[in-house]
Amino acid sequence: MMRTVTIANRDNATFQVDHRKPLLDSLRANGVDLPYGCKYGGCITCAAKLTAGEVHQGAQVALNNRQISHGYVILCVARPMSDITLEIGVESHDKLYRNPFLDPLEPHELKPDIATPKDI
Amino acid sequence: MTKHCCGPGYASPAEAMKAPREKLLYTIAIYTGTGIQKPDYLATIDNDPDSPTYSQVISRCEVPGIGDELHHMGWNACSSCFDDASMSRKYLLVPGVRSSNIHIIDCATDPRNPTLFKVIEGAEIKAKTNLSAPHTIHCLGSEIIISMLGDAKGNAPGGYLHLDKDFNIVGRWENSMGGIKFGYDFWYQPRHNVMVSSEWAAPNTFMPGFDLEEVGHLKYGREIHFWDFAKKEPMKTMYLGEDGLIPLEVRFHHNPDSSHGFVGAALSANIIHWWKDAAGEWQWEKIIDVENEPHPEWPIPVPGVISVILLSMDDKYLYFCNWLHGDIRQYDISDPHKPVFTGQVWLGGLLGKAPEVNGVKVTGGPQMIQLSLDGKRLYVTTSLFSTWDNQFYPEIRTNGGCMLQIDCDTENGGMKINPDFVVDFGKEPNGPSRCHETRYPGGDCTSDIWI
Ligand code: FES
Repeated sequence: MMRTVTIANRDNATFQVDHRKPLLDSLRANGVDLPYGCKYGGCITCAAKLTAGEVHQGAQVALNNRQISHGYVILCVARPMSDITLEIGVESHDKLYRNPFLDPLEPHELKPDIATPKDI
Repeated sequence: MTKHCCGPGYASPAEAMKAPREKLLYTIAIYTGTGIQKPDYLATIDNDPDSPTYSQVISRCEVPGIGDELHHMGWNACSSCFDDASMSRKYLLVPGVRSSNIHIIDCATDPRNPTLFKVIEGAEIKAKTNLSAPHTIHCLGSEIIISMLGDAKGNAPGGYLHLDKDFNIVGRWENSMGGIKFGYDFWYQPRHNVMVSSEWAAPNTFMPGFDLEEVGHLKYGREIHFWDFAKKEPMKTMYLGEDGLIPLEVRFHHNPDSSHGFVGAALSANIIHWWKDAAGEWQWEKIIDVENEPHPEWPIPVPGVISVILLSMDDKYLYFCNWLHGDIRQYDISDPHKPVFTGQVWLGGLLGKAPEVNGVKVTGGPQMIQLSLDGKRLYVTTSLFSTWDNQFYPEIRTNGGCMLQIDCDTENGGMKINPDFVVDFGKEPNGPSRCHETRYPGGDCTSDIWI
């Protein structure tokens, strides 16, 4: 199935992509210049911000739950589940990095493999 | 006295100290993580004070890809091949930590303008050895060994990649990783049949950035490992605990007969010393403990974060950097059990003690260092690792890194920043880049091992 990807910080350019393929591959095949490193979801280089729609990124191991709650997605493993809107590149990384001493993570904000569920 | 036998390097550390002064420096510079979609590169810097291009980048050897994150590098041959006329120190191996590509750069055909000779693709390394994230490179004889911090999917502990002298993949070097949890740096001392390795974290842990809480979840290292070098397997692990959180750079004495060595525990901000006792047992002790420093805007005191350590070629001085505090320290370790604090300079850092040096705003803190063979000139760069830079020093994205020279008093101890030398990587033609490890032709204070 084809999905529409809108890139908000590239003049809302739109691309039709295959929902089975990682977004990094699809967008690069369409000529979008994107940073990447490991290509297996572990190094965060390809992170982008999802501002609308849904992706599946079960294979990513780079993001902690705080970054995920800010909308970050790992393009080298993420596949679109719907039409989506992204902000790409380092310009989208405003909330990706934080000083770990000044702004610690809560237990539920750690990476998914070590996070403990939030007390309600 | 023969200055030179037939192969690369020097007969001994004492001979190395008499080498002519280094006039060129190589450092890697990265665009990974900066937002500039350009390849990382090896920068060549002129540091001949009599040259019209002194203190400038004179050439840039770009790697083919984007986003490799060049980091550490090593020579294809060192003084361990001093007796081998068929070997020469011609190539720098420059790996990309993120891509696992290993770039072989010819620095000898034209030392002022190195060129790319060959790339060992990360995909081939992963397919043949199930390893990724290359870090430290050492050669021994004609063999080249590289610590690889992860398996092909970025999980710890990784292992060691073995290359032959023509840069073909031989396979895994080690016969066993034993119970080792993580890899990082290593150094060997063949006359004691020993290698010591340290621990950072899995690539999937450290590459995305530093979550302090993951230290408590045992995702970062706190052990060092002593290997039976001939058997290629670990024989003894030392649990350093809270004194040794994130043990990084490993340095043996240059003297090949010595069993003394040191590792800097980055997060604990301690220097750990080891040696073989009279009974032939390996022992360790903490010899330096850098106090955390208060910061007006921080709820907790700032740890030093010792990102690198280095020994002078005569094994007299230990140098290290506190990347977050912003100081470089010099200790006289003539008695390795009792270091004497002899010098300190400040540049950058979070404590605000030296925001500007030689007219350049220093973003980041003192990070990688390299020392001249005679021990008198210490070169320092300011970027640690792209994602970690972005967390602690976000302005580095627009300011770039820089390189400075510290003049060291080798007689009485003491250090001062050289006022004439500064390379501002914020002014690079493609935009601000960040410099990391430095080497120079002929072998340096972290490259050569004597057998
Ligand atoms: S390229 Fe490394 S996480 Fe996507």
